[in-house]
Amino acid sequence: MSQPDYLQPFADCLTQSSQRLFDQAEAGEKHIGYFCTYTPVELIHACGFVPIRIMGEPGVVEQAYSLVPDFICPFMKCALEKALNGGFKYLKGAVQGYTCDVSCGMANIWKENIPGELYHTFPLPYTDAPAPRDYLQKEFQAFIHKAEQAGGEFSLERLQSSLDMYAVIRRNLLSLFQSEKGGAPVLNAQERHIVAQAGYVTPPDLFLEMLEALESRKPFDSPENQGGIPVLISGSLVESFGVFDAMEKAGARIVADDLCSGYRNLLPVDGSGSGPMERLIDRYVNRFPCPSRCRAEDRFPLLMDRIEQTGARGLVFLIQKFCTPHLADIPELTRLLKAAGIPVLVVEMDESWRMGGQLQTRLEGFVEMIDGMSG
Amino acid sequence: MEKSKKSTKRLAAAKELNKAVGEYYLECAAAKEQGKPVGWMPPMNGAIELFYAMDLQPVFPENWSPVCAAFGLTPKNFEVSEGMGYSRDLCGYLRNIVGYVNGPMTDPAIPLGGLPAPDLLISPGGGCVPVMKIFHALERRFPEAKVFKADLPQVALEEIAPHHVDYAIQEMQRLIDFLEKATGRKLDQDRLREVVVLSDQACALWDEIMSFRRTIPAPFSAAEIGIMFVMVTRQGTRQAIDFLIKARDEIKERAESGTGVIEEEKLRLFWDNIPLWYNMGLFNYFEKANAVVVAETYSAAWSIRLDPADPIKALAMKSLMSYPLVSCVSIEKRKEMVLKACREYAIDGVVFHRNKSCVPISLGQMDIKKALEEELGIPSVIFDADHMDARNFSTAQFQVRIDAFLEMLAEKKSQV
Repeated sequence: MSQPDYLQPFADCLTQSSQRLFDQAEAGEKHIGYFCTYTPVELIHACGFVPIRIMGEPGVVEQAYSLVPDFICPFMKCALEKALNGGFKYLKGAVQGYTCDVSCGMANIWKENIPGELYHTFPLPYTDAPAPRDYLQKEFQAFIHKAEQAGGEFSLERLQSSLDMYAVIRRNLLSLFQSEKGGAPVLNAQERHIVAQAGYVTPPDLFLEMLEALESRKPFDSPENQGGIPVLISGSLVESFGVFDAMEKAGARIVADDLCSGYRNLLPVDGSGSGPMERLIDRYVNRFPCPSRCRAEDRFPLLMDRIEQTGARGLVFLIQKFCTPHLADIPELTRLLKAAGIPVLVVEMDESWRMGGQLQTRLEGFVEMIDGMSG
Repeated sequence: MEKSKKSTKRLAAAKELNKAVGEYYLECAAAKEQGKPVGWMPPMNGAIELFYAMDLQPVFPENWSPVCAAFGLTPKNFEVSEGMGYSRDLCGYLRNIVGYVNGPMTDPAIPLGGLPAPDLLISPGGGCVPVMKIFHALERRFPEAKVFKADLPQVALEEIAPHHVDYAIQEMQRLIDFLEKATGRKLDQDRLREVVVLSDQACALWDEIMSFRRTIPAPFSAAEIGIMFVMVTRQGTRQAIDFLIKARDEIKERAESGTGVIEEEKLRLFWDNIPLWYNMGLFNYFEKANAVVVAETYSAAWSIRLDPADPIKALAMKSLMSYPLVSCVSIEKRKEMVLKACREYAIDGVVFHRNKSCVPISLGQMDIKKALEEELGIPSVIFDADHMDARNFSTAQFQVRIDAFLEMLAEKKSQV
């Protein structure tokens, strides 16, 4: 994957992460996988483990069907396929924040079938009040106990420093996802996601160094301002950057996203509270909403904010096939967006992540339609 | 073989069931007319007992879906929800109930009088995503209803710790406060204890009824599993107890007299996942090979005993345990439960319904299948279908797979 030189280290991370993580594991590093951004990575890190996001890889699913049905999202199928082919041998376990049914089931299937030492699902509260915060504190304590039994070491000082580090990482990433003066971001969509996803598979201290090096290279000669119809994309994970290319070829310019592999993961950058544990809790009860844990009505104003901030003129739902939380929100969000004058297109992706001719034509039609609306 | 077929029933309790279903829905309609607050809620949680203790009317949209399937209302409901933009890949319960409330609900010709509009919505945080999304859609459809935004930790049974229980108890108390404020009715603790005693008695009776199916030949099959209707809708009431006692007496008599479902029961089957509500006749299909479905996962969710000494805690525990017990939240416990049932019910083979409308139950089936083979040597078969949407069920695939499976089981048994 050849990229501008300021991005090459991130692109290399993505292509070389498996071998690098495997080598680190051989040298004694303890990596823990997680599926979803509701997983408190700061806590895992403070316990002495390196959180690594489990990503699938677009491709053919075969072995995974011996454990799961075909009607679950491509991300989970591809991740399991990779695990069964030995692609995650560097992980010492998997930890998950409870979100959708598939991630919940997959965490348990993973525990049954992929050898490891530390497995945990955080049953996060759905509401924010003193009682759920108190409950969450006990839940985090229970995890710490489990992590210590698996060889981890925890202290509040370590948590403080993990929180600080992840907050700086998110703040840095956020500066790439939005312009300092409003309008379009400083990197184009593919570049933003290369950077963000490199962060999922890189130890955070190393990733922070990379981000700081990137910051020193600003301004970038990103092809962001080459024109195209500005659009917002919304969905869960996008694992194939070819999708961004296809959208740009269709005449769209992705100025913002509501993806859990992108912008959604960054907010809030930090929590607040009297101590590190309170700060951690505050962040996780205030996460930028995911459809598996909130109402479409809660998401709509945030989508409109993004649209207004970035000048997006349309919204493309880029959905993983069979993704219930997103599919279930689409009718209401579409109704609300259309009422607000925002054109909407729904694109469903399978595990190949190939944007075939029919999808390309639909995208082109959508972009032309938006373009025509201004005339 | 037909895509939709009612089951052949042998129990006199089946007639009682029709009566019980009719009475329940009439009671729901009457409650509305009499000004009794009506609350819609998901099943399998402790809110039901609270409602009966406070003389409120609980309504279960999920349970309405099998009724729609039985009366052939589902295609129309699907047409409405799919027209609204709901994908065919979504759970059939979701598409059915969203379609119903946005379409035929106002039709006066709806069987059983339909569902009365809710005054209260117990909107879950936790449980499966489709049920959560059903309630979000109901909040939109009934904006005048008062909404309780529930919150329940989703924990595997083996991981439930005191802080989960404490939080579930606090949530139960929050629900009580909401109901008291919303309805102006005070919860009487003595009345709640009575309701919890009745609910626990219903669970004990349910366990007893299920235990008679260990008898060979089994006194009734999954074709009659509709009798669990009272466990879904009437937990904590005298009506449930009366219905279950009658059913228990009849089933006990059949078990003691050796009266089976069919003349010569040769194979005993276990069924995993929700039945095909539009084709309960499927359970009779096995009978042509002298096979009877004598146990199933779904009916186990109603066996959670309640301790009346601490009613609120008992209801909190029920809420915590019911959904994980039958879903992918607790694959390990579910596996244990299926294996235990297979030993106790002398199961020869297991039928896995890989259900496009229920991901949480379909996930984990392959691990259970593997354990059945490795630990008990029990063969199993998987077929693809959908508990609500007949368009996702191929009779040809079902027949080919099941016929071959039954043949293999018969052959295996003849060699013993």
